[in-house]
Amino acid sequence: MTDSSGAKAAMIEISGLRKDYGSVVALHDTELSVPTGEFLTLLGPSGSGKTTLLNLIAGMASPTRGRIVINGRDVTEVPAEKRGLGMVFQNYALMPHMTVSENIAFPLEIRKVPRAEIRRRVAEVLDLVRLPHVGDRKPKELSGGQQQRISIARCIVYKPDLILMDEPLGALDKKLREQMQLEIRRIHKELGITMLYVTHDQEEALNMSDRIMLMNARRVEQIGTPDQLYFAPRTQFAADFIGASTLLDATVAETGEPALLRLSASESCRVRLHSAAPVGTVGKLLLRPEALRLVQNGQVTAGHNVLHGHLDNTLVTGATSKHFVTLDNGATLAIQELTDPSTTRLEPGLRVQVSWPPETGRFLEN
Amino acid sequence: METRISGWRIALGAVVTVILAFLLLPSLITAVISFGSSNQIVFPPTGFSLNLFRRFFAEEGWVASTWLSFRVAIWSTLLALFLGIPAAYALTRGSFPGRKILALFLLSPVMVPHVAVALALYIYFTEIRLTNGELRLVFAHAIATLPFVVVTASAGLRHIDPALERAATVMGASRLTVLRRVTLPLLTPSIIASGLFAFLISFDEVVISWFVARAGDTTLPIKMFSSIQFEVSPVLAAISTMLTALSIVVCVIVATVQKEARSD
Ligand SMILES: Nc1ncnc2c1ncn2[C@@H]1O[C@H](COP(=O)(O)OP(=O)(O)O)[C@@H](O)[C@H]1O
Ligand SMILES: [Mg+2]
Repeated sequence: MTDSSGAKAAMIEISGLRKDYGSVVALHDTELSVPTGEFLTLLGPSGSGKTTLLNLIAGMASPTRGRIVINGRDVTEVPAEKRGLGMVFQNYALMPHMTVSENIAFPLEIRKVPRAEIRRRVAEVLDLVRLPHVGDRKPKELSGGQQQRISIARCIVYKPDLILMDEPLGALDKKLREQMQLEIRRIHKELGITMLYVTHDQEEALNMSDRIMLMNARRVEQIGTPDQLYFAPRTQFAADFIGASTLLDATVAETGEPALLRLSASESCRVRLHSAAPVGTVGKLLLRPEALRLVQNGQVTAGHNVLHGHLDNTLVTGATSKHFVTLDNGATLAIQELTDPSTTRLEPGLRVQVSWPPETGRFLEN
Repeated sequence: METRISGWRIALGAVVTVILAFLLLPSLITAVISFGSSNQIVFPPTGFSLNLFRRFFAEEGWVASTWLSFRVAIWSTLLALFLGIPAAYALTRGSFPGRKILALFLLSPVMVPHVAVALALYIYFTEIRLTNGELRLVFAHAIATLPFVVVTASAGLRHIDPALERAATVMGASRLTVLRRVTLPLLTPSIIASGLFAFLISFDEVVISWFVARAGDTTLPIKMFSSIQFEVSPVLAAISTMLTALSIVVCVIVATVQKEARSD
């Protein structure tokens, strides 16, 4: 399924997909195309429709309307057990009455794989998830992280075209979660299986994904690479949800390159507009903490924006420090810099300036 | 403050002891009597012997009644499981109109007085001309024990994480495979427990049996009940002791099975 341009065919093609529960919309009309081999993350707050979309793809719920094509086959009407997908659950969903090996062998037995090959493949995936010696144990004898590895092993053992994961690391503690993120990335790279990964943790999404589909209020907010979502969020929700951010009220005062934004009666700044917003458009200016500089009198680089305020406090968190500043217009913002001994001992209440180059700010319409 | 609390504790302990004694004493006294050497019911017994147990096996009718009770209990239990497990599955996993009403309906035999059920079954069996006494008992007991099976199995099913069944489905298992490889194995402890309870309830049942049994088909409880109307035979004490022992054994098995299942 390669088109004439040689681009990879889509593993998932979703069009006009919608799910209602009575009068409740669980997923608004959704379009999505996932290329083969991609690691796509569905990111969004709780209740944004991530699980609903995943369940529709898995076949565990049937859509109110729309079509789902997986690997060139329209599976909209195909029952879950005939879709040939893999799924990893938050609570592992390992069979408590089976040993680890029996759990992993289960999908192969369903596929009537010969005994000897089952034994070989079970050993192979146990190696792949780096748990070669736990085959005879019961799942409950393993730690949470180990159980999740086994549930991933059970999934990849039958080589599905597509693996769905619904908050698979949600039950693990932070350190283990980071370790497992790397593990899942490694497995994805080694096997090249298309993965659809659900999380509400933006850091996890940024760490792992080829692309992120951000969801909000049961519809797609924005879809793009982690860089695109971080540096070029299209909405205030996206800016706020991904990464740390400050959003200041702003109105377009002059168009042009760069444009002029009015922030308050006495303050304005330059910004490059990415949409054709006419003069008078109301919105917010997005500033990322690491794009801002704390400046003391007179050190502003030519062409950079400057706002005045006073320092609230400074937090040294190791290699980086955070300055919290209250602007003269009352808004507060955070500045993140590499720790510099000359700025860590500043007195709270000190008059300071905040500066940034025009291209790092971003205007987002209301 | 300190002494008040311990005073309360002593009082509470005393009340609990009295209640336990009140519950247990009759069974204990019966058990003691059953090992007595007298041929009358006397307490305290005059000496130790297994005479009363010997009489149970020697006297006409007791063993036959016991076998009848066993057969009825086994068949009615199997029938109740056969009907009750699928019903529990449908009630807990399905979503169809009238589910709640059906659940209530299946539980009705415990809500309606046993005498009423007994009379209804008597009339019903007469109406459909079911004359085989053993079959009448089996059907009647299955109806009486069905609610217990449905309740126990439903509780067991609700305990099984639905994600396990969903995981199996996504892995490609048909409904039947999910049932065979996931749901039923995980439900086994509940099935065993409900089966054993159904067996005990049937084995012990008097009221319904009294109504539906024909003249020749006396289950053990019926025979005990009718024998006490003519003479208070001390053999009854021996039988009671054996029935109590049976109950205890069954309860221990149930507890063990469920404990093992929980540790799984
Ligand atoms: N079975 C259901 N019945 C009614 N509403 C549902 C059902 N499942 C999900 N919803 C609704 O759909 C929305 C999206 O839910 P979900 O997909 O579970 O969100 P997420 O996984 O992003 O937390 C929620 O508002 C939820 O209340
Ligand atoms: Mg969810």
